[in-house]
Amino acid sequence: MGTSTRLRSLLIAVLGVVGLVGAGCGFSPAAAKDPTAPLEVWTRSNAASAKVYEAIFAAFEQATGIEVDYKAVPIDFDKWIQRRAAARNLPDVLINDTGMLGLYHSQGLVTEIQPTSIAGGTDITDRAWDSARASDGHHYGVPFSAQAMVTLVRRDWREKLGRPVPTTWAELVELATAFTTQDPDGDGQADTYGMLVPGTTDRGYLSWWAASYLWQGGGDILAPTGDGGYRVAVDSAESVAAVRWLRGLFCDSKVIQPGALTTSTADAHPFFETGKAGIYLTGPYNFGRFDKSLGKDRYEVIPTPAGPAGTTVLGEGENVYLMAGSARPDAQRALAEFLISPPAQQIGMRGQPQPVVRLPVNRTVDVHATYQDPRWDLVASSYAEDARPFPNVPNFQPFRQQTAEALNTIFASCTDDVPGELGALATALTAELQAQGMAVP
Amino acid sequence: MPWLFLAPALVLFALFKYVPMVEGVRLSLYEVRPFLGDVWVGLDNYASVLTDPLFRTAAGHTLLLALGTTFGSMLVGFGLALLLEGQARTLWFVRSAVFLPVVTAAAVVGEIWRMLYYPAPDGFVNTLLSWVGLGPWPFLDSPDTSLWSVMAVGVWKGAPYDMVIILAGLAGIDRQQYEAAAIDGASVWQRLRHVTVPALRPVASILLTLAAIRGLRVFTEVYVLTGGGPANSTTVWMTTLISRGFEKQDIGVASAAAVLLFLVTLALTVAVRVYRARKEIG
Repeated sequence: MGTSTRLRSLLIAVLGVVGLVGAGCGFSPAAAKDPTAPLEVWTRSNAASAKVYEAIFAAFEQATGIEVDYKAVPIDFDKWIQRRAAARNLPDVLINDTGMLGLYHSQGLVTEIQPTSIAGGTDITDRAWDSARASDGHHYGVPFSAQAMVTLVRRDWREKLGRPVPTTWAELVELATAFTTQDPDGDGQADTYGMLVPGTTDRGYLSWWAASYLWQGGGDILAPTGDGGYRVAVDSAESVAAVRWLRGLFCDSKVIQPGALTTSTADAHPFFETGKAGIYLTGPYNFGRFDKSLGKDRYEVIPTPAGPAGTTVLGEGENVYLMAGSARPDAQRALAEFLISPPAQQIGMRGQPQPVVRLPVNRTVDVHATYQDPRWDLVASSYAEDARPFPNVPNFQPFRQQTAEALNTIFASCTDDVPGELGALATALTAELQAQGMAVP
Repeated sequence: MPWLFLAPALVLFALFKYVPMVEGVRLSLYEVRPFLGDVWVGLDNYASVLTDPLFRTAAGHTLLLALGTTFGSMLVGFGLALLLEGQARTLWFVRSAVFLPVVTAAAVVGEIWRMLYYPAPDGFVNTLLSWVGLGPWPFLDSPDTSLWSVMAVGVWKGAPYDMVIILAGLAGIDRQQYEAAAIDGASVWQRLRHVTVPALRPVASILLTLAAIRGLRVFTEVYVLTGGGPANSTTVWMTTLISRGFEKQDIGVASAAAVLLFLVTLALTVAVRVYRARKEIG
């Protein structure tokens, strides 16, 4: 599984190395961009969601007459962008994770936005605008979509084993253990696993998965100090306890699918679809895909089981980034304004099998009326009540990457010295925090 | 006139090799920020590569992997060559079949082995192992076994190539030496030890040096099999370099690491050339 994923990753890595020694401003000055060329727009999408974006851009072309040259880049999007940046020839517009804002801003890849000057900007929720604001207080993106992580459970397995919907961590582990040991698919073989974890360190994926549990346990990677600064909290007693609990899933109860620590998100989905694993903390964008491949009645979206400190989950979204060096700033802005309008948001939400707008950022769009799906109502309420984003430091990527590497080490080695590992991580993160000028003196 | 004929190749080489190489050296001296202006940092990037524990671990893994793959391939290749030496048509067919891993794209090999290594009891290799009462082993899934599993794939892919070279070497051994040894009462083992192996020495030295240099640049297998994980247990120089450049967006440091790798392979290659030239003269 994931063959094409990895091959494509490889291709880009090879091209990347060529680019690494081949690009740079001395050698290849930015080709002056052609103001009459179509607007080049990139999204991090697979073929299915690319179709939805195509529909949105077709509507945009019809409404404005501005032509869009659209590219869906499913794999290694960030690496491609870095290559284009190194060649000083960026696409005009990107739609990508809110979490990339800090990095793009710190590299000078994105242009500043005045929320009040964007037509329709006042209809955007404050929370969404917050996710487009960098640590310097200015906005460098236009919000496009929001979401919260949800817990998916194989309903048929759970009912077959006569288990209740888990509401706490303890019940979650019980259910995962039952899925692992009690042969929920009834084929007589011990080939099912409780929880599905995309645990590779690539892009820091493991941190994306683990963050929700870390917060539910009262821990944190970086904690705000109240005066705009942050302190490292990854070695706090609560963080240690939460990581110990996660370590137990890998090392004691052993309810995680094999190969988890080298599995990416794209490689992980098939484990859920093909009945290898029964509990999956993931984004809500896969309902359509799983309805088709697995069947709507065979899995359920459950309210987040509570940890010692509550039911916090990771809630992020996607922004429209207007990239630096574009020859068509007006067209960039026109596209952003169109993308946040109710018609565009609704086309995005109605996309099959994957909505590209998960929860609308435009407060005039009704989630319930648009989706007509109680599962999305649950996502919306989880986003409203329990979701929080990664902290707003200039560039969170190094924190996410190093945390993923440390957790990967703990889960792979099953070391008992969780405080020691997290202590070492905290030292490294503190240095990074100081380097980014966000440490509390 | 000769330059004219060479021109197409030279232009392509200059464009896609030499200019990028020079540019890579330049970037290694800067903190690279394409849209904000590069900042001159002198040799700082080199210092951070050499002091970075991740790069040190990676260097260790790279050396271990290069040595293990090289010697493993030699041994297995030697065994295969002895088994498959001869003129028969069937042998020709088997040799071709055995050679297939060499011509298969490394990425495909990696992807297939990732499936074969699936660490559950119903994984392919684990199913085979269970027939002889072993396993299940975690293979790529555990930091204790991952590097060895990667090495095994390297040997699997490299051994047939060595086999072909050794076969050529075997064909060059004078049959009379075997006959003379046999008449003197040498056993099969003694003939192997005292006739075959010494006669293959030149072949072995070529194979060793080529493989050792190639081994330092190992990337594809590791990247596809594990991406350097779990717990950085299979990071090699090239995967660390990629991650530094395109995940931590540290193009300057990544370039410095690339230049260092280039210098080491250059030094090794030159050393081998000088050594061999001397031997030929002497």
